[in-house]
Parts: sequence; C-alpha cells; structure tokens
Amino acid sequence: MKAIEARGLGKRFNSVVALDGVDLDLDSGQFFGLFGPNGAGKTTLLRILTGQLAPTTGTARVLGIDPAREPLKVKAAIGIVPEVESPPSYLTAAEYLYFVGRVREVANLQRAIDRWITFFDLDGTRGTICRDLSKGTRQKLMLAAAFLHDPDLLFLDEPFINLDPIYQRRLKDFLLEYHAAGHTVFMCSHLLEIAEKLCNQVAIIDGGRLIARGSVAELRKGDKDLEAAFLRLVGERR
Amino acid sequence: MSYLLRLMLKEEFRMHARYSSPRMFLTFPVVVFLFSLAIGLTSHRILEATPLSEAILFLHVSAFLYGLGVGAFGFLGAQYLERRHGNRNYLVAMPALLPMSFRRTFFGMYVRDALFYTVLLLVPMVAGLLASVPFTGFRVASIGFLFLASLVSFLLGMSLSFFVSTLYMRSRPAFIVGTGLITAAFAGYALFRILPVESILPGLAMHYGLPPFAAPGVPALVAGLAGAGAIAACIAGALVLVPDHYEPRSTPAREELPRVDARLGLAGGYRIHLAKEFVDLKRSGTIAKMFFSFVTPLILLSFTAWLVRYGFRVPVGFNSVFYGAMVGFFGVLLYNWLNSVDAMDHYETLPLGVPKVIRSKLAAFLVLSTGISSVFVVGVSVLNGDVRLLWLAFPVMLVTSVYMVVMTAYLTGLRTNSFLFDPGILAQFSVMAMLPDLGLTILSFTVDRDPVFTIAGISLVLAVLAIATLVLYRGIDGKWGRASFAE
Repeated sequence: MKAIEARGLGKRFNSVVALDGVDLDLDSGQFFGLFGPNGAGKTTLLRILTGQLAPTTGTARVLGIDPAREPLKVKAAIGIVPEVESPPSYLTAAEYLYFVGRVREVANLQRAIDRWITFFDLDGTRGTICRDLSKGTRQKLMLAAAFLHDPDLLFLDEPFINLDPIYQRRLKDFLLEYHAAGHTVFMCSHLLEIAEKLCNQVAIIDGGRLIARGSVAELRKGDKDLEAAFLRLVGERR
Repeated sequence: MSYLLRLMLKEEFRMHARYSSPRMFLTFPVVVFLFSLAIGLTSHRILEATPLSEAILFLHVSAFLYGLGVGAFGFLGAQYLERRHGNRNYLVAMPALLPMSFRRTFFGMYVRDALFYTVLLLVPMVAGLLASVPFTGFRVASIGFLFLASLVSFLLGMSLSFFVSTLYMRSRPAFIVGTGLITAAFAGYALFRILPVESILPGLAMHYGLPPFAAPGVPALVAGLAGAGAIAACIAGALVLVPDHYEPRSTPAREELPRVDARLGLAGGYRIHLAKEFVDLKRSGTIAKMFFSFVTPLILLSFTAWLVRYGFRVPVGFNSVFYGAMVGFFGVLLYNWLNSVDAMDHYETLPLGVPKVIRSKLAAFLVLSTGISSVFVVGVSVLNGDVRLLWLAFPVMLVTSVYMVVMTAYLTGLRTNSFLFDPGILAQFSVMAMLPDLGLTILSFTVDRDPVFTIAGISLVLAVLAIATLVLYRGIDGKWGRASFAE
C-alpha cells in the first residue's frame, strides 16, 4: 500500500514558487528522508502532505486520504512534528499531552501520557507552563504529542533540532524501532549524518523540485557519504 | 535612530497591511478624509444642535482617548517580547540580540506610533476639513490651529499611556496608583466639577485661546507650552522607568486542565476546548484585562448618559433597554481578548478545524459575559430607578450579545483585532453592528410614549437578529473551514 502519493504538487506564495511539480510515491513501511538547502521547499511539501497548506497545483494522497480535501482526516491518522516547537504557552507539558490526547480521543490516555513523560524525562516540568520551558524541552513535548496516539505515519520536520545528544540517541532508537514495526516515517532534516543511519529512502529537493530520489546507496554512488552526495548534487545546480 | 525609526515605520505599515492588503489599508485614511469632509459640509447643521465649544471638547476628548489607546505599548511591547506572535518577531525584541539599547528602541516605538497614527487619522481628518473650505468658508488658519491643538491632546494621551504602561512593567501597585490619579483627575472634572477640563487637557485650553474662539495670545501660548511640558515629562518619566533589560516573569502552575475538563460535562464535544480556554485565561492574566476592558466602556457609557441627561439637560430616556442593547455591543471586546491570549499555530498539527475553535471561544464568551452583563444591566437599572423594564432589557441584552459576537466571529474568525483593520471588514462590521443597535436605541427611547409599538418593534428586531445569528453561526463552517491557524 502507498503511504504517500503526490502528482505535480506546486505551491506559489505570491511571486515565489516554493514547490514546482513534485511527484512522489512512498510505500508503507519506508523511512524516507527529504533533504535540501534552505528554502528548497521541504517544509512546504511536508505542510501540504499533512493538510496544513493547500497546494496551488497537483494532488496528493496520504494513507489514501486527500489532504487538501480532508485535512482533519489526514491529521487524525498521522503524527506531525512541526519545524518550530510551539506548544500552547499557558499549559504545562502534561496538560498539553492531555489536551492532545482528548482531541485525538486516545484510549488509555493517562498511560500514554505517562509513557511519553517518562520517555522524555518531562516529569520535572509538571509545575511549569510551556512558555517557560527551554527550547529543547518544548521540542521533546512536540515529539511526545506527535507519538501519543501511536500513528502509522509520522511527519517530522527537523526532529533532532534543539535536542541534546542523549535525547538525539533516544529518539533515533525509538524511530528505528518504530520503523522496524512496519510504520512509515517522512522526515525533513539537515542532519545528514543522522539521516543516513535512519533512512532507507531519500530524496533531495532544490528550488521546489525533486532533483534526486532513491536509496541511500543509490544516491551516494561513488561518494564517501550522503553529505558528499548532497553537496555534489546540489552544488552542480549552483 | 532615524534608520531604526524608518525600519519601525515600515514594520508597522507591513504589519497592518498584511491583515488585508496595502491598498485596502491605505483606504482607511481615505475613509477618514471623506468622513471629515462630510462633517465639514454638514457642519452648519451639526453646530445648530451642538455648540462649537462642545464639539471641540468632544474632539479633544476623542483625540486624548485615541492617544491613550495608541500609547499602551508598554503592555503591547511586553507582549511582543514575551510571546512569539506566530512565527513573527518585532524590532523591539532586537536589543536582546544586538548591541542596541532597549530604552532607545522603546522610545523609537513611541516616535513611530506618534508619526504613524498622526498620519493615519489626524492628517486625513484635517485634510477633509481643508477640502470643505470652498463650501464652508472655514478659515484655513483655524483648521491649522485645530490640527495643532488636537495633536497636543493626542500626544498627551499617548505619553500618559506610555508612562503608565511603563509603571505597569515596573510595579503593579505603582500602576494602580498612577491610573487612580488619572481617573481622579477626570472624576474631578466630570463628577465634582472641582477641576476645569482645560486644566486636564492643555490642548483644549490652547484651542480655546485660538481662532475662532479668541485671537492668538499669551493664554494659548501658555497652554501650548504646558501641554508640551506635560508630554515631555511623561516621555522622560517613561524612559527612566523602562528597564533596559526585560525578563519575562515565569508563571508557576498546578496541573488543573483534567479537573476543569471533568467539570464541564455539559459542554459536550467542546469540553476540552472550553477547559483549555479557561485555564489559558486564568494563567495569562487575561481575565482581569477582559473585565476592565468590558466594564470600563460600560461605566463610560453610563457616565455619558448621566452627563447628557443631568449635565446637558437633554431629555433623552436612557432606560435599561438602552443599556441592554449597549452591553451587547461591547461584547465584541471580550471576544477580541479571547483571541489574543496566545498564538494558535500548535493547532495546525491536530485534527481540529478553525470553526471548532471559534465555537469554543463563543461558548467561553457566553459563560464569561452573561454574568457581568446581567449584573451591569440590573445595577444600572436599580441606580436609575428603572427596574420596571428589566423584563425587556434581558432578552435585548442576550440576543444582541450573542448576535454581535457571532457576527464578529463570522466576519473575523480568530483574528478579530487584525481583520477589523481591514476597511472592507470594518465597513461590513459597522453596518451589521450599527443598524440593529441604532434601531434598538431609538425604540428604547419611545417605550414610554408608545409601549405597544416599542415592544412590537423590539420583538421584530430581536427576531431578525436571532435569525441572522443562526445564519451567521452556520456560515462559520463555510467561511473558516479551510482557514489556517498559522498567522
């Protein structure tokens, strides 16, 4: 089954073309990494696929649902970690997870909250509202909120940003387990070293177009690592 | 400074223009110009009903209040610094990162707003009066004096607000004392007549010393200098008080969302959203701001009605039905606050649409406003010895409150403050708000002359409003179903 299908996706912001005719097929159970220079269109593509933004042209289906027509249905089925960590200012971490769980109608909510509070060591934040949390703690909370309902497909935009090495490692291990259990991950990142260890499918986007797609080995060709391949592929276009 | 000021002016313009479009935003001063021209052209009739000295008093009080509103950036500045405004940041936050003085940047905000809002409103207003000169025969010099004097009142309001809001940043008790003194000064004029209004508003005193009231002379000069001195003193005081480093206060919290959620069983599918609204309001301190911003205009309204009836001895019957209609009108302020508590972009990641959040805010509005509104209407009725019409005032209050807030929600969604800057939306809002309110106000004045006609008229207006409320409420899905939470 296809987790994601996109045909000719385009997005314009006034005169700026952020996305230009992107075609993408992704089978379920893949760990897909999308890389690209700043402003290449990674976040725009992720926001269109998750129903946060309507495309100017083209169509998409995520888990068989059209995100432009049924954004709430798509959001109910997936987990999203946005580019900017932005939990509501006046709730505590546990309260935010409670709120997310109630909106998503998570069964055994308290158990799910406790699991992720423990996983990210958020117990110490119980008396603190999100506005007063550090960026890293807010990022952990956004990750916990995306994982809370145990979705089949995760969309992660720079999930490792602001996390210290301990939690980067913990998150990597979790994502590998999650993938091994047959779930799908769509991840945008600049951290190619981490991505190389996690992803089995990768693509590079530049100027709103997908310029390369394949397995990590296919993209590397003769390059020593994914970073070298990225620099070669993007550099050729500069 | 001039470079920073230019950037700040650009920022302010872009911030306003993004709510609609630059062209739409620029129509606002055009509308003010046309409105002012219309006042100029009909001035002979207006002045028959309102003497020139009273019209000028009204102008200066309005300019002063406008300045008070514009100058509240001690509060706004703190919010800009504390709260990420969606994904936007403002130049005033830059001293945290760059070798810039926060005090200087704050002063830049004052100068920016003084220039921006003078050009936005006072200049087109004066231009409208100037354009009427060929038809009215107004003297250009008099209009020039009017501009100067009203500018003094506007800048005094701004500076005072600037000063008081920096007091707020330093010390809450000092803020309460400051606002208490200002209130006492106005009460000294309005209630007890122990202070002449010219002594509180030097711009007005200056105006009364200039043509067409008097030939320019020492009194106008003294009043003008007193005004300039008061403005300078407020600015200097504010600049001394503004802390050069701003650290947002951290707010301790006990976990209470699940408990509040459990208590709101009656709210059905909106339970958790309503619970979040109440927790947000409590922790952000917005409840107090909402209370004051709702109650203050109601008190001002009562005072104005009292002044018209007993001060000017105009025999207008301001009864409890009139207050019921007015309470509904001011409910918009509460809804606006509900949308200003926090950025909402976190909702983007959840299976939740904008209409559902709008509806939960409407429910919060009803819960919060009904009690205060009822107490106000009953209180004013008792004070005026007018409880006999409470049975009619209550349905008027309830229907207009719900209509006004649903209409505002329909027109502006979750960005009330932003969209009301859009002249197109503002025009629709004005028509949809003013027409029924005017109808109810006029009908309320006729209740003693022809009760049957009045009750039938009010029933008809309320029925139309109830139907309009239902239509607009249902229209929220169609209008906002595809909207984004991101700013």
